[in-house]
Amino acid sequence: MRSSIRARLAAAAATIGLILAGLSPSLAPVAGAEHLILRAGTDQDIQVLNPWNSVVVADFEVFTLNYDLLVNFGQDLEPVPGFAESWEQDGTTWTFHTRPGMLWSDGEPATSADVVYTFQLILDAVDTDYGCLGQCYLDGYLLNAGVVSVEATDETTVVIETEFENTLLLQSYVPILPEHLWSARTLEEIGNHEGVEPFLNEPPVVGTGPYQAVEFEPGNFVRFARNPNDWRDEQGAPDEIVIQHFGSIDTAVQALKTGEIDYVRGVLADQFTDLADEPDIQTVEGIANGYTELSFNTGGNSEGYGGSTAALSDVAFRDALGYAIDQDALVEATLGGYGAPGTTIIPPFHTRWHVEPDNPRTFDLAEADRRLTAAGYVLDAEGRRLDKSGAPINLRLTWPDSEEENATNAQFIVEWFDGLGIAVDAAVTEEGALIDAVTGPPNGPGDYDIYMWGWVGDPDPTSLLNFFRSEEIGFSSDSFYSNPHYDELFLAQRAESDEATRKGILAEMQNLVYDEAPYIILYYDAELHAYRTDRFGGWTNQPSEGGTPLFGYGSFGYTKLTDLTAVPTAEPSVAAPSAGATPAPSGSGSGTGSTDSTVLIVGIAALVAIIAVGLLAMRRRGTRAEEE
Amino acid sequence: MTAAGASWSPPIPAGRRVGRFDLLVRLVRRPEGAFGVLILAIFAALALAPDFFVGPLQTAVTAHGTRLSPPSAAFPLGTDELRRDMLNLTVHGARVSMAIGLLATLVTVFIGAVVGIVSGFVGGRVDAVLMRITDFFLVIPTFVLALILTPIIRDLVGSGSTEILGIRMTLIVIVIVIGITSWSSSARIIRSQTLSLKERAFVDRARVIGAGSGHIMRRHILPNVINLIVANSVLVFAGAVLTETTLSFVGLGDPFQPSWGQLLEAARSVGAPGLGAWWYFVPPGVCIVLVVFAFTLVGGALDDLLNPKRRGRA
Amino acid sequence: MSGSYLARRFGSALFTIALIVLVNFVLFRALPGSPERVILRGTPNVTPAQLEAARERWGLNDPVFPDQFVAFLGATVSGDLGYSFVARGQTVGQVLAQRIWPTVILFGLGELVAIVLGLALGAYSGWRRGGPVDVVGNGISLILYSTPYFLLGMALLLVFATGLRWFPTFGMLTAGATYPDIWARLGDFVSHLALPLATVGLGLVGQYAIVMRSSIVETLSEDYVTTARGMGLSEGRILRHHALPNALLPTVSLIAINLGYVVAGAITVEVVFNWPGLGTLAVEALTARDYPVLQGVFLLLSVSVVLANLLADLVYGVLDPRVRT
Repeated sequence: MRSSIRARLAAAAATIGLILAGLSPSLAPVAGAEHLILRAGTDQDIQVLNPWNSVVVADFEVFTLNYDLLVNFGQDLEPVPGFAESWEQDGTTWTFHTRPGMLWSDGEPATSADVVYTFQLILDAVDTDYGCLGQCYLDGYLLNAGVVSVEATDETTVVIETEFENTLLLQSYVPILPEHLWSARTLEEIGNHEGVEPFLNEPPVVGTGPYQAVEFEPGNFVRFARNPNDWRDEQGAPDEIVIQHFGSIDTAVQALKTGEIDYVRGVLADQFTDLADEPDIQTVEGIANGYTELSFNTGGNSEGYGGSTAALSDVAFRDALGYAIDQDALVEATLGGYGAPGTTIIPPFHTRWHVEPDNPRTFDLAEADRRLTAAGYVLDAEGRRLDKSGAPINLRLTWPDSEEENATNAQFIVEWFDGLGIAVDAAVTEEGALIDAVTGPPNGPGDYDIYMWGWVGDPDPTSLLNFFRSEEIGFSSDSFYSNPHYDELFLAQRAESDEATRKGILAEMQNLVYDEAPYIILYYDAELHAYRTDRFGGWTNQPSEGGTPLFGYGSFGYTKLTDLTAVPTAEPSVAAPSAGATPAPSGSGSGTGSTDSTVLIVGIAALVAIIAVGLLAMRRRGTRAEEE
Repeated sequence: MTAAGASWSPPIPAGRRVGRFDLLVRLVRRPEGAFGVLILAIFAALALAPDFFVGPLQTAVTAHGTRLSPPSAAFPLGTDELRRDMLNLTVHGARVSMAIGLLATLVTVFIGAVVGIVSGFVGGRVDAVLMRITDFFLVIPTFVLALILTPIIRDLVGSGSTEILGIRMTLIVIVIVIGITSWSSSARIIRSQTLSLKERAFVDRARVIGAGSGHIMRRHILPNVINLIVANSVLVFAGAVLTETTLSFVGLGDPFQPSWGQLLEAARSVGAPGLGAWWYFVPPGVCIVLVVFAFTLVGGALDDLLNPKRRGRA
Repeated sequence: MSGSYLARRFGSALFTIALIVLVNFVLFRALPGSPERVILRGTPNVTPAQLEAARERWGLNDPVFPDQFVAFLGATVSGDLGYSFVARGQTVGQVLAQRIWPTVILFGLGELVAIVLGLALGAYSGWRRGGPVDVVGNGISLILYSTPYFLLGMALLLVFATGLRWFPTFGMLTAGATYPDIWARLGDFVSHLALPLATVGLGLVGQYAIVMRSSIVETLSEDYVTTARGMGLSEGRILRHHALPNALLPTVSLIAINLGYVVAGAITVEVVFNWPGLGTLAVEALTARDYPVLQGVFLLLSVSVVLANLLADLVYGVLDPRVRT
């Protein structure tokens, strides 16, 4: 809010300039050749090109098209050459080799110096008061891997020292940026930290990724063109890629059906079922790398916490309530049958690490009642469940307004808990206010009883394990769970390089959290995507089990696409309105869809006719009456 | 939208007071009035006793249909994605929509009447200030203001499941917001009526015998503008229903107490239009159009009846 | 037009704008959650240092009045509306600028279509009161008036885009398309515009027809029309030369006053068609609780409506000598 007069004048001038610019729509570059454009739709906001400001999946998708990670992800999330061509590990010392002769998309040489520049940017940012860079989603990758120093020993060699021996460095979701362009910017501009002019990284973006952003309408779309200096042997068929934002996913699905777009992420359950019958459309049900949970305020009403009853701190109480939640019913109602009932904190997406609990709970209200009574929570004469101080237990249940589907879960939970004599006061909370409320001491009030939200993980499960560490209370821990044994196991698994040993530790951690129930995992969400099969082929799921072709991990899926518009008379890239713009056989249509809309059209017409006739009759009489 | 509608016919003072019952009789004698009253009577009955017609509101747990099934003998209006009976939801939606509309109308007309009468009767600087504020609300896009106000007020009052008159706090906030943002045209209309009443002999008489301003406003002005307030309320009601629908449609409704607007929002958020699940959005959509249509007809008819200039001319 | 009339109109518009800015200021302070946390929302592992930095950056450590208010006023006047929470790194001004043009086109044209059709329909049905056009037209007008814009839009979308596939389903231009010439671009634009424009036009036409009709009916009963009839002037001449000009005046001012309500409809129509304008922006900002952008939209739309009203008042002053005093 505070800024100098000059800055304000500049802002005013910029605003006016932008408005004027907006008023004169520029002519898009005229295409000489016919371009093959891949259009992908998402309901997420398309808002940033500066990777450090990334928050949502679409942001990550955008920057992994523009840039390479030091090490990219292969089809099954195994490390494959990225900015670095090869690497070796010797204890806590890593050596990465970049490709000799690799070029940035603007023709400048891409070298080890760029890696050092990018990683050092993070290490510098961590040392500032602010503690991280931009939206702070990317620095954790280097911190979790314990990176201490980064050094270039020659043009193509980078040596990285880590604090402890681990392999998390190969999973770092950090884009390697061109030093020759970015070093002109200060840390503050890049991180958008203080009231300085932020660096937006406007197009044309320069990177080593397979496609480079050349046009950007924030909130609307990003258009990418092929990187002329791409180092990959295997390149995708699209000449251009458009990632398009949709205000409603329904519109996106319609556009997919009419062939206006080729891919949709985030299809709704019923649409997904419906799309399965569409010609030329393939649906793919991926498993989300995450879950939706019911979190308990395990701080209860102890000092520094705002829970309404001490029962929340009692493992027996939480465990008993676990028997009063029917995960299958929630999957059926809220997710429309897609997704899977939740159990442990590492989702089945991590096929290597996920385990089912040793002592699973099943939905059984009588069992829940028995366990509550056995733990000392008895019913009073009016059928209300009492806590150990003799007060009736009334739980406040909430969820963020950004995740409306939780209202459905809430309807169930209210009734189930009611059956146990526990009154539940359910209401949605504005997201910002909720984050305030569920932050623990010393940074927040820890003021809630139970609430629902979800987490999304990385290729490595470490980040999903973080929220239950004691030292995260006040930060990312929203259940305020604290167990020294868990904390030890966390550090042990992070430093463990033997897969079998690590799996043992992770299994113990998953069971620990399941049994002590700071979270009750409601379900593992499904990733419902759909794409057209008439323009592009080569759609490849990443990972092959439970994955999706796009919006996965990096640019992998795009590079696999092949051209199916084999006939050289591919339609001139749009100009013609509507369905004509696509080779979609519009004649075929969708059987069920068209009957339904016919019914609808007839229905509406009939309704209008009825009202009109009634009105006409009445008007006639009315006029006559008035004329008398 | 209808607040503007109210200003379509400039108010002219009623020549004499029309009895309540007398008014209703004459209203239903007019065909468009009868049509409107009939529709409203039907919806009022549904809203008053939804349980009598379709049983208690179905919840995700008590629902027993199949997911998004088209109309059938068991479910004449089909089901929603939570397997609930759309007929049940639509009838209960009538209660929620009408209750919010009614409460919002009361708030709106109350503010409008107080501002209008005080402004018109007291005059001078008070009038100038009040009318400036009225003009402000008349001219700005109040719906955008409502969009900002709703989440803010909701967080200020807390959105717990406290209920007022059987309506959840989240929806009470909508009532308040509609009240705050749509009273201005009522105030304008009532003020101009008050201005002309002020000059009448009976007001002077009351003043001569020493009646205070408050007394005169309550006992002499208010009874004489009440007809106007009633006619105006009908149009305000239609506007309130539309505003509530639109606010719910952009996601500010309450899924625990679905109004018609909330049902439309739910239909849109599961993608019902694209799925061809017309039974999900056509019933609430038709209900909204019918109710607003009926209120507009009745409002217009009332306006004609209470407006001597028009009445004489017809 | 007298100076005092002008001065009063301008004064009133200025006052309204001042109130809008004040409302905006109060609203920003009333935001739920502590403002600095709202600003840093979505940022994991927020440290006290970050919170403090955010407080400093947003001037939240200064007293609310006068410091924060003066700063806010100065910033607003110079067009600095702060930063968007969601479009990270972009100012509200930048975000708004990208969305103005589509809304101006859609609603400018929509208003135009509705005014021309609505006034014509209203005038004709008022003139031929009780005739078939009046009966059907008035009925349709009333039904259109009772229909929320988004319902109308959903119906059109379903029938003409999804069902018949005559028009595209979303957006303003085919994203990423390249055009051989400007006509191809224009054609693409027009086909995208058709349905939202029809929705706005239809949504408004009912209101305008109703207003115009009652205005014409009123005028036709005036004494001078009766006199004109008595003088044997033809009905067409009476309509064109006497009734129409007089009936237009109140209609124009009502259209101006109605602008604020039109904007409400604007918002939902844009959402239904994914039209990249201010309405879609407002709903996105609402969903993401991007309050600075939401307030920017409010400020921009409010001020535009106030200015449009001012303009209408001035036009009215020119047309009708009675209001010039």
